[in-house]
Amino acid sequence: MAGSDDPTTGADTPTSGAEHPTGAAEQPTTELAPSGDGDRFSVEPRHEFTVAAGEWQELPDAVDDDLMVINMGPQHPSTHGVLRMTLTLDGETVLDNQPTIGYLHTGIEKNCEYRPWVQGVANVTRMDYLSPLFNELGYCLAVERLLGIEDEVPERAQAIRVVMTELNRISSHMVWLATGGMELGSTTVMIYGFRERESILDMLEHVTGLRMNHAYIRPGGVSMDVPDDFESRVRALVKELRDKVGETEDLLTENPIWLERNVGVGILTAEQCFDLGVTGPMLRAAGIPHDLRKAQPYCGFEQYDFNVVTTDTADAYGRYLVRLGEVYESLKIIEQVIDTMPGGPVMVPDRKIAWPAQLGLGPDGLGNTTEYIGKIMGQSMEALIHHFKLVTEGFTVPEGQVYTAVESPRGELGYHVTSNGTNKPYRVHVRDPSFIHIGALPTLTRGLLVADVIAAVASLDPVMGGVDR
Amino acid sequence: MSDTPTGAGPGPTAEPGGGTSSDNPNMAAGEQAELVETGLEVQLSEQLMKVRDRLVEAFGDLEVIGFRGELTLIVPPERIIDVLRFCRDDPELSCELLADLSAVHWPGGKRRENAQETTGWPTYETGSEEGRIELDYILYSITHNHRFRLRVSLPDVDPRVDSATSVYGSANFMEREAYDMFGVHFNDHPNLVRILMPEDWEGHPQRKDYPLGGVEVLYKGATIPPPDERSY
Repeated sequence: MAGSDDPTTGADTPTSGAEHPTGAAEQPTTELAPSGDGDRFSVEPRHEFTVAAGEWQELPDAVDDDLMVINMGPQHPSTHGVLRMTLTLDGETVLDNQPTIGYLHTGIEKNCEYRPWVQGVANVTRMDYLSPLFNELGYCLAVERLLGIEDEVPERAQAIRVVMTELNRISSHMVWLATGGMELGSTTVMIYGFRERESILDMLEHVTGLRMNHAYIRPGGVSMDVPDDFESRVRALVKELRDKVGETEDLLTENPIWLERNVGVGILTAEQCFDLGVTGPMLRAAGIPHDLRKAQPYCGFEQYDFNVVTTDTADAYGRYLVRLGEVYESLKIIEQVIDTMPGGPVMVPDRKIAWPAQLGLGPDGLGNTTEYIGKIMGQSMEALIHHFKLVTEGFTVPEGQVYTAVESPRGELGYHVTSNGTNKPYRVHVRDPSFIHIGALPTLTRGLLVADVIAAVASLDPVMGGVDR
Repeated sequence: MSDTPTGAGPGPTAEPGGGTSSDNPNMAAGEQAELVETGLEVQLSEQLMKVRDRLVEAFGDLEVIGFRGELTLIVPPERIIDVLRFCRDDPELSCELLADLSAVHWPGGKRRENAQETTGWPTYETGSEEGRIELDYILYSITHNHRFRLRVSLPDVDPRVDSATSVYGSANFMEREAYDMFGVHFNDHPNLVRILMPEDWEGHPQRKDYPLGGVEVLYKGATIPPPDERSY
């Protein structure tokens, strides 16, 4: 929007927040309008929204206290997207760090309230864009619990969910490694990480049709069965990943620069993690072997043998070790699932919930299979009515409220879903781990140098799409 | 899972909303009956029954809801901080994590909700006598591996409750979000300002009485009306 590069938001005028809107209105934004031809293209300044955060008023007097206030972000290559941090510095030491978020707020939670239950999947998958399948899974588990069909979801669907989400976990960790490495100056790691991620996204595309934002996991199962060559391709991928992640490990684990930048940086002890609600690899790096896949298994995770990787260093390097270890554990899980892949349907048998058609690949692309179209258009009027009602209205869900949580690559991803008995959610609240972890930033970065703030934020692995929703 | 009869708690209450789901015209009669039955069923694991017993023993007057294996305790707003602190410090509960804090707005009066807003045809009647905002605190204990919900019901006009930041640091951001989205004021919160919406935003978007915006189209002043005003 207009005025986003407003110079008055600079760090040198920390107390100007209150006067800011009027100041911005005087900016010559209307000059954008071409002269003459009416006001069709005129940009009206009333649409400006400023983000003069309240904490500006609380900042110290720069001259009296000999402190400096530096604004880092939101347009900063190392803040993982549009995260703004207001650093209060004494020399180069960070005394305070107030994060400002909301730049990527898209109102997905509110949007879910005006769409049928099934369409919610396509909405929530766009929140945390590095782990879309976890969002879908969390939402679907919540809807299934509300419907009371948790136990009816077929085994094959659960196994597919496990494989897909574990692949997604690896791809997410790889992006974390790639971006985190790049922020610390290693472009090689960046290339390696994105290379591995790309092979995984190819696999996800092969199964779901899309690289990201799959809308593949649906309430009651998954949208379609996996292709015939799924098992062989996953096996090949697992082998490939094991080799290539090993390369990255060789490059980094004993690397003196990597050690120097990460060891002892961004320490968050277990007690601090509890207080700040920090979960996932951050908590495990602090020595607490807490993993929801073990603690409260979903999708049949109790059948698979894997370890919860922990370290007791509680720093950025420990988080690196934990995430790398998790990649290998995920590969182990995927292999086990592929070995014991059950057959059968991939959607609940209840025809009032299951999507009426299975997708198939036709000459003109992916769509409802020709047999199914022939049936509803030529043979069964009831099937056509049923299809029409279910696709347009969707199913209704009993009244109630549930909270389901899955272990996303970043921590506990919770879906707090309320139904009032209609065909749409009444309220969907997402407990996104990135959001909670951003709240830990002041504690995490206090006393660090500015360059270490980059390493500390990188070790948090925040995804702003999930933070702002 | 032990199936405990409904009457176990001190007066199980109806699920939120007070809506009349039985009006749903697109559900078969059998399905309807089945849903009503399962919806009121209290099925809590033995572990959660212990949690319930412990909390009811300590704070006698808590209402208990069991739904789909999840435990909800309704706490009077003025006692929520005490209960939270008890849940955190009591060795039998030891809830290390405040996993989530979110709110649901139930506006007062009858509200016609037209499913035509998006797709489909049925119209639902929802609403309750008086408007309220329900704050839900989800607590999780890593030690004992249990999860339950504390619910506080506030009036939807000027809702106020004490801040939980003194008990759980993570409540800081969550309460700011609840303030931003629902206008709930948390007393003694260190920095209660908007978090997701811009500072000069008016209104609290997640409330049900917040008007929905349409979409402006950069073509001859056309607009797409908000979802609840569209006609197809």
